[in-house]
Amino acid sequence: MKPDTCAAVFSQKEEVKGHFLMTVKAPASFRKAIPGQFIMLRREGGNTPFLSRPFSIYSMYSQGDDTFVEILYKVVGKGTEAFSRLREGDALDILRPLGRGFDVPPACRKIVLIAGGIGVAPLSFLAQRCGRNIRGAEIICYLGAGSSETLAGLDRLEGICSAVEISTDDGSRGYPGPVTSLFKRDRDLYADNTTRIYSCGPRPMLRGLQELLKGRPGVCQVSLEERMACGIGACLGCVVRIRPDGAEGSLVRVCTEGPVFDIRDVEFGE
Amino acid sequence: MNVKMGVDIGGVTLKNPVMTASGTFGYGEEYADYLDLNRLGAIVVKGLSLNPREGNPPPRIIETASGMLNAVGLQNVGVEEFIDKKLPYLRTIEPAVVANIFGESVEDYVKVAEILSDAEGVDAIEVNISCPNVRRGGIAFGSDPVLAGEVTRAVKGVSRLPVIVKLTPNVTDITEIARSVEAAGADALSLINTLIGMSIDIERRVPHLGHVTGGLSGPAIKPVALRMVWEVVKTVSIPVIGVGGIMNVSDALEFLIAGAWAVQIGTANFLNPSVAADIVDGIERYLSDNNLDDIHDLIGTLRI
Repeated sequence: MKPDTCAAVFSQKEEVKGHFLMTVKAPASFRKAIPGQFIMLRREGGNTPFLSRPFSIYSMYSQGDDTFVEILYKVVGKGTEAFSRLREGDALDILRPLGRGFDVPPACRKIVLIAGGIGVAPLSFLAQRCGRNIRGAEIICYLGAGSSETLAGLDRLEGICSAVEISTDDGSRGYPGPVTSLFKRDRDLYADNTTRIYSCGPRPMLRGLQELLKGRPGVCQVSLEERMACGIGACLGCVVRIRPDGAEGSLVRVCTEGPVFDIRDVEFGE
Repeated sequence: MNVKMGVDIGGVTLKNPVMTASGTFGYGEEYADYLDLNRLGAIVVKGLSLNPREGNPPPRIIETASGMLNAVGLQNVGVEEFIDKKLPYLRTIEPAVVANIFGESVEDYVKVAEILSDAEGVDAIEVNISCPNVRRGGIAFGSDPVLAGEVTRAVKGVSRLPVIVKLTPNVTDITEIARSVEAAGADALSLINTLIGMSIDIERRVPHLGHVTGGLSGPAIKPVALRMVWEVVKTVSIPVIGVGGIMNVSDALEFLIAGAWAVQIGTANFLNPSVAADIVDGIERYLSDNNLDDIHDLIGTLRI
């Protein structure tokens, strides 16, 4: 059976300044999603914006016969700006959950999430699933934002995580400085085999995290973002260099081989 | 009403005139979950080179008004791996398989064509002399009628399969190139490839593309593509395949009416993965609604 691509906006609201939570009524045929996966979304009809946009799944659930997908996104350009003006009932074209999600081994007991800004979205979904599926799991989230005004996704995380540590670049709430510096303070607590670290956020932040974890034991997975056209692995627009074992590596697709990668393998570039 | 949709493109029989464009449909299997591939007339695979090619560094794509620029740089698995790993799946489905090829020298083109000629399951070769994203080879061939003819003649000399030559619009007079390629023995032409364009990030004051320039595709280029198809149709006797900004059945019909024997759907696949199948359905409906028995009753019926 070919999956449907017709969806509609169920609700939308501005969570914090410039950050929106949209609930999408998805096609009945939608498959289950793994945290870390994303959808491709587009307003139905019209050429502006032209391409679909990729959004990490913030949450996905069924209610009766209906399936709902939540996305939490920040307005950063033409595409997201247009999405922020959509209202309940507006028709959407959607592609089903795509990409490789986060991997959580059954033996994992401690999960550390490091979220930079809107990177909180897929990590929150991961926290939800782990909280539900892993008995006795300890979930600690380091949540960084520009300021207290743009701290998105906090309420939901506080309901799921054992602890949420907050940092803001301007110091208006929590630790004053980048979330990686906050994490560095506690870094030594997490260097063992039953702990897994997961992160998502701006490239410079992930590059910084890669440096912080270099040579240390423990596994960290990151979810990357890149401009996409097709989202399904055909156009080769969204590549990133992945170097397992530090060799020259190869250019692979964020939409298909990713968006989740082992942080040690990613070439973050300049 | 049963309409006849079959067309013969220089020796390849297609069950209908709808093909998917090279570089937009992977190697076919990527789209298997999104539409019934057997609805399509043909699949043109991602351009193949003699050796695997990594392509350009990112960023590779950027949206533009009613379109997009791409500077992917012809990343592909190489012709040998295509035959070993990708062709077996394509042999299991009905559409004609067109292998798009490119090279940095005439010798490269010839070697790739030779290898594909012997590969079971390939129905035709499409010669990319027009890709604007490579630093050597591509752009030179497509812009010069003599070189375009030379590579066509060389590929025709070794190919046991029909040879379609894909033309670039980034020339002063595409009919000149078309004439030269026809004279050199091409069995069919496909046009257009992308128009070379550019986009700049005004915050960081750098190009949006790692490669600086890229190929423009999408609705923005359709009027240019359509005009060029019309001009070339009047110039050559071999079949012309129309490509460029076809997003829906109405666009496809414009090209057929202008004289294209088939159309390729490219960028539209990114917006709607099943669009090519929708276009097949739409053409059938149009023929039926207009009491036309056969697609050939529509092709080239533009009245001027």
